Amino acid sequence: MSYFDAIFAFLFIPILIVIYNIVPKKFRPYFLLAVSFGFFCVISKFLIAFLLLSILSIYLITNKFTKIDKERDEVLEKTDKDNRKEVKTLFSKKKKRWLVLGILFNVAMLFGFKYVNFFGSNLNYIFDLFKLDVHYNIIKYAAPIGISYYTLQAIAYLVDVYNGKFEAEKNICKVALFLSFFPQIMEGPIVRYNDTADQLFEGKSVSYNSFCFGYQRVLYGFFKKFVIADRLNIAVSMIFDSYTTFSGGILFLGAIFYTILLYMEFSGTMDVVIGIGEMFGVKIPENFKQPFFAKNISEFWTRWHISLGLWFKDMIFYPVSLSKPVKHLTLHARKIFGNKYGPILCGGIALFCVWFLNGLWHGAGWPFLFYGMYHFVMILSGNLLEPLIQWLCTKLHINRQNIVYRVLQSVKMALFVFIGEMFFRAPTVRQGFVMLKRIITNFSFSSFKDGGLAILGIDVYDLAVIIIGVLVIFVIGLLKERNINVREEISKKNIVFRWFIYYLLIFSIIMLGAYGPGYIPVDPIYADF
Amino acid sequence: MKKNVLKSILFVIFFVVITEILTYVVLPGSNVRKMGMIKVATYEVLGEQKNTIDVAVIGDSLVYSSLSPMVIWNEFGYTTFDCSNPAQLITESYGNLEAVTETQKPKIVILEANELFRDDKHKKLKYKMEVLYRKLIPIATYHNNWKNYFMYGSKDNWINIYKGYKYITKVESGKSNYEMTYSSKKEVIPDKNKEYFDKIYELCKKNNIKLVVVSFPTQISWNYKKHNATETLLEKYSDVEFIDLNTVDLGIDWKKETKDEGGHLNYLGARKVSTYIGEYIKSTELVEDKRGNKKYASWDEAYKKYVFYSNNQ
Repeated sequence: MSYFDAIFAFLFIPILIVIYNIVPKKFRPYFLLAVSFGFFCVISKFLIAFLLLSILSIYLITNKFTKIDKERDEVLEKTDKDNRKEVKTLFSKKKKRWLVLGILFNVAMLFGFKYVNFFGSNLNYIFDLFKLDVHYNIIKYAAPIGISYYTLQAIAYLVDVYNGKFEAEKNICKVALFLSFFPQIMEGPIVRYNDTADQLFEGKSVSYNSFCFGYQRVLYGFFKKFVIADRLNIAVSMIFDSYTTFSGGILFLGAIFYTILLYMEFSGTMDVVIGIGEMFGVKIPENFKQPFFAKNISEFWTRWHISLGLWFKDMIFYPVSLSKPVKHLTLHARKIFGNKYGPILCGGIALFCVWFLNGLWHGAGWPFLFYGMYHFVMILSGNLLEPLIQWLCTKLHINRQNIVYRVLQSVKMALFVFIGEMFFRAPTVRQGFVMLKRIITNFSFSSFKDGGLAILGIDVYDLAVIIIGVLVIFVIGLLKERNINVREEISKKNIVFRWFIYYLLIFSIIMLGAYGPGYIPVDPIYADF
Repeated sequence: MKKNVLKSILFVIFFVVITEILTYVVLPGSNVRKMGMIKVATYEVLGEQKNTIDVAVIGDSLVYSSLSPMVIWNEFGYTTFDCSNPAQLITESYGNLEAVTETQKPKIVILEANELFRDDKHKKLKYKMEVLYRKLIPIATYHNNWKNYFMYGSKDNWINIYKGYKYITKVESGKSNYEMTYSSKKEVIPDKNKEYFDKIYELCKKNNIKLVVVSFPTQISWNYKKHNATETLLEKYSDVEFIDLNTVDLGIDWKKETKDEGGHLNYLGARKVSTYIGEYIKSTELVEDKRGNKKYASWDEAYKKYVFYSNNQ
């Protein structure tokens, strides 16, 4: 099942909307919950038990927080001023224990499903190395769909309630719907409770406008996926599967193609998810904000998979950098390396944790860990070099706001991203390095001499469609960067123009989409994480 | 409210009209005139040039996953076509054969044996929907034909690469060292299916076609009871041959050559079956090797594309 299934998008969703509108308002959230559970079961069957365990755990623990707070207040009322601090500490510790338990419980499920085999197989290497007669048997099993997404949402909910950001929800169905809302379950975004829970539970009717607007967004996602990503998939598979036969220039082209494919596939999925949310009156936060307009790799990550970045910032980066040992270390580092480099170096500890976990979150494998570490090194070195670059620019009278400088910055950023994504796509770190070596030492397009574009499995028409498609997305992105909302602008035009655009979009998907004989669609890449 | 309903209806009407126009534009030309659009989409074989198919293979998913016409073309030079749909019923196979004989004069028809046992009520909704979808929205199958306008200047030059076969590289291992458990019992063939088998037989006879019943390799859908029942049914039809590939050692490696744990073969298994069937066709001496024949140049072109696309999968 994929959000790009025509049956899902153009049969299931409209039928669902009709029934949803018929159901009385107060029952609509429960109806959506039933649909979400049903959707989950269709994909993961009985593994829904683990989703239910997650829901139950965060519901019970957050309500335990409320109970502890209430008990604390009662005790405090009866306690004299001198002992109040002690009482507070006592209850705070109790609350923390429940928080840790909740986090561990959810992380354990995630670990069990996603990482046991990875660590097991690496242990086997170590056992073999020391010739130990121990062996971990790799067991094949499927993980519940979206476990990487809903687990992070569950943890964020626990932490937010713990921190008093909002009160624990009394209605378990509301928590359940927040965690399992069907358009989000497969590929996120990883939303926070206050982002969607209330809207989901409002049970707003699907209006004509929300229906039309929602579908426009869904179709935009379909365009990205079918016209661009699936067409690129042919060339990308060809290049990465037969990388030894291609010259460096083509391998680099493969890295660019894959980055575009990944963006189109994932952001296209987000368009579908957000579009469906829009129909039901739920404003799901954006997960992409024109990432290729970023100036550096650090900014890139605030525009790409935004919800994951925010989660890591709030749940890992700040807690680690504000922890006592790191604060202590920062103080020392300031003395040794100065006020500029000291905090950057210590911030590196938190940054390392973020990118190590980010890599691991993307998959249980060395290429993913390498991918995380690659970004850690890039971002940290960027931070460390920033004062030097600033100094150099001042000395050489280079205006950093100059358009040429900014374009060069974006090119450099894109280059780093392409290389990073190349390692991400390569099945082994070794393959990634072989490809990189060939890009550096043999940068030519000589392989094209053997058979032109055909060696990539595409023809000139495929390439033309890809280029036009990417240009369309680029122009829309550029307008968004200038705060022009294309959809709203179109909606202001007369009906003839509007419908022309809508039909153009629909029929370009139907006619130019890479589906049917000879094409293999891209699997939902981010659904595997 | 009224305005919105009206707008929606108008939008759908325009959508249907544009779809119909574009469908007309991309559907393989010669067939549109002769057969009507819907028929072409349902029966892919109608997209082939008149009287060019030697062997029509009719049946369910076991056909399109077991037999690759392009492998047979490359190795033997015979033109075969898989006329199959998921969970196809024998009643539908009859319709398929009728469509084949409208434009083709095949020398041999291979009927897949498993569908003798499929009842209408067992036909899964999903498969019914798939067939219906192809029938209702032919543009979904032929949309890519726009390229032909640029490449050849006409949609009439549309080349079917797979000839009904579904090229699948996926591997999901089945049981290794699989052998059917012997049984002397017989599965029941529904009366309606017997009736339609007879109709297929008569149609073949009328068109001077040799009918062969073949059971394609599967660890799931076939068993000895079905084998026995098929043998008994065919006792009445002395000129119909029965080849049970589940009792022949084709050297299928069920660990690597099945796409769904033994249910169907993937492209590796299909290669072996195709070679075997090619040898069988050769042994009948009914069909000639057409490689190098100018009339069949499009098959050479299709083979080139087949190799090209297959390498990308």
